[in-house]
Amino acid sequence: MEWLGCVPYTEALELQAKRVEARRSGACGDALLLLEHPPVVTLGRSARPEHLLRSRQELSARGVEVHEVARGGDVTWHGPGQLVGYLILDLAARGQPDVHAHLRRIEAILVDALRALGVPAGRRPPMTGVFVEPSQPPRKIASIGVGLRGWVTWHGFALNVACAPGAFADIVPCGLHGVAMTSVAEERGGRGDASALLAEARDGVADSARRQLAGPGAIG
Amino acid sequence: MPREINMPKLSDTMEEGTINVWRKSEGETIERGDILVEIETDKADMEFEAYMAGTLAKILVRAGETVAVGTPIAVVRLPRDSEEDLAAFLAARASETPAAAPAAARESSPPSATAKAPPATAKAPPPDGNAPPPAPAPQPPRAAPAGASSAQAPPPAALPVPSLVPTSKIPFFLPDPDRVRATPRARALARERGVDLSEIAGSGPEGAVRAADVERWLEALEEAETPLEGDVPITPVAARIADELRIDVQRVKGTGPGGRITKRDLRAHLEARERGETDREVGLYGDALKLSQKRKALIRNMVKSKQEAPHFYIGMEVDVEPLRTLRERLKADGKGITWTHLILKACALALERFPDVNATFREDRIVRFTPVNVAVAVDVQGELVAPVVRDCQGRGIEELAAEADALIAKAREKKLSPEDYADGTFTISNLGMLGVDHFYAIITPPQSSVLSVSAMRRVPVAEGDQIRVGYRMDFGLACDHRVLDGAKAAEFLGAIRTLLESPTELLANGEAT
Repeated sequence: MEWLGCVPYTEALELQAKRVEARRSGACGDALLLLEHPPVVTLGRSARPEHLLRSRQELSARGVEVHEVARGGDVTWHGPGQLVGYLILDLAARGQPDVHAHLRRIEAILVDALRALGVPAGRRPPMTGVFVEPSQPPRKIASIGVGLRGWVTWHGFALNVACAPGAFADIVPCGLHGVAMTSVAEERGGRGDASALLAEARDGVADSARRQLAGPGAIG
Repeated sequence: MPREINMPKLSDTMEEGTINVWRKSEGETIERGDILVEIETDKADMEFEAYMAGTLAKILVRAGETVAVGTPIAVVRLPRDSEEDLAAFLAARASETPAAAPAAARESSPPSATAKAPPATAKAPPPDGNAPPPAPAPQPPRAAPAGASSAQAPPPAALPVPSLVPTSKIPFFLPDPDRVRATPRARALARERGVDLSEIAGSGPEGAVRAADVERWLEALEEAETPLEGDVPITPVAARIADELRIDVQRVKGTGPGGRITKRDLRAHLEARERGETDREVGLYGDALKLSQKRKALIRNMVKSKQEAPHFYIGMEVDVEPLRTLRERLKADGKGITWTHLILKACALALERFPDVNATFREDRIVRFTPVNVAVAVDVQGELVAPVVRDCQGRGIEELAAEADALIAKAREKKLSPEDYADGTFTISNLGMLGVDHFYAIITPPQSSVLSVSAMRRVPVAEGDQIRVGYRMDFGLACDHRVLDGAKAAEFLGAIRTLLESPTELLANGEAT
């Protein structure tokens, strides 16, 4: 379990790739990397251009990077106030080589952490991700997407903790029309200091992950 | 032989996957562990590794296409395969699977057992095949037998790694001990001492376990403290794995040295769990038998019949003395007319006279069959088949007998073609030769009745003041109440009885009425 602070997206990507290789070779154990990204919009392989609602020039003028990344899924936003978690786990070594079980586990970690933060949340099958309760219309608080190299996972989740209002206004997140994005701060009535809240969320997620990932190859 | 790579199952709930991008192109050399292809399934992408070295000979499913789990996605030519091997393999494939279009794959019936394979990565589960890799188990860091952990088994030299592994959630580090490579002496010793070979890293060629390895392992086990998990003796490796998998060892039966639980026992435990057995039931069920296509069809038909056709049953005792006398006479004349032939002819005649019995329930009406096609149930080495004597109406017994004999002979040679057992309109099932006194068979849809023939019994018959021996047989008739009522069924069975009790009519050449 590591807190990396604010790391640019591409740098974090390289770091993940290194950690995945290290995990695959057995040089290290499972890990959860927690961090924040500077503002960035990433386009997955199935991203549709119309889900990016501003031109790239416009975004770049506002300091928002745009990256096309080799992952599935549509378009998403990362930036300040969002807690990003990358899980490098060897699912085979954990005795449960099942990618959907992994997704469900990430959801469970977040639901658990959000409860501790006073934000009731849950799943909304068949959608992947975590949604706050009561959720009509659905309001999404965390996005999830994972990759595997062999049975070693990477990528993970992005939990909106205290993002600037309108952070997602430039995109149709995950291509999900009709799903609003929310954050911990918003759910708690917008009070409090953003960086303190992020630290609280970070520690909550870390605790929850420690519980959920206990056992073999436990994350210390 | 070249090998197919199948769409891996990345999750229990995964039914299909999409090819995102091929990282290798056709003709490119691949090494084990190379990322071959990226596969996408619901919010997760997997970079799928090659688990064999060779050449990517053919891509079967292109980027962007979605196919069911287990569908072949590529063909890999192994280093030892010649051009001819590859050409032959591809030709054979092409003829087997005409245009396996992704759409077709998506709609196809649930993936076969083989398709349920978890993805075989470089750390794949043990192969189904002939040459198992050495136990790929995590080596026990503690209390490991001397010489075992140091002698890390080399990877298998050849690449027998399969595209097919059993349908199983059993972790790869619990390999089937029978598939562990070992010398015959090691195997014998292991059996004698209850040692699980999959716990031992072999020092022989290709990681084969040798007798010396088993002995060393046993010595180490003696020296090591018997690890106790709540008073349950268990080997160090098994203890570690049970811990990892959170298996309650109290519920596992140990078969290792000194009753210790071994990996093999954990595996058996997990397998039992997988089959949905409760702790009480462990050991209750043995191996599952694979169903033949015929068996599957039979199961389908019988279940359908019992679910849809309201069966009712009537039985009659038939005095078969005249038939017996007739049969003796025919035998003396050298005519090969058997009981089966006589009953067949009686049924054919009765069906002709009772067209309402030679009928079926079809959607919302009763429909008469045009021909009289009588199926005769035959057991061929434990497999039930019912070849059909077609168009029995108006034909003499010798003709029917010859045809029935030919069909039954064909059945016994397992050479029946599907037409030979299709389109029956009535069935005769005879368990008489097996000593059954009384039974009712299940109707074969879409027929509406089935005759059950039991064994001939000797009964005392009072004749005047004398008791003599008489001969009787029970005939049971199961009927579909949608088509037949009791009275009609009784008339029909009565007609069969009359024909059998006054059998001269059975010998008339053709229909004499």
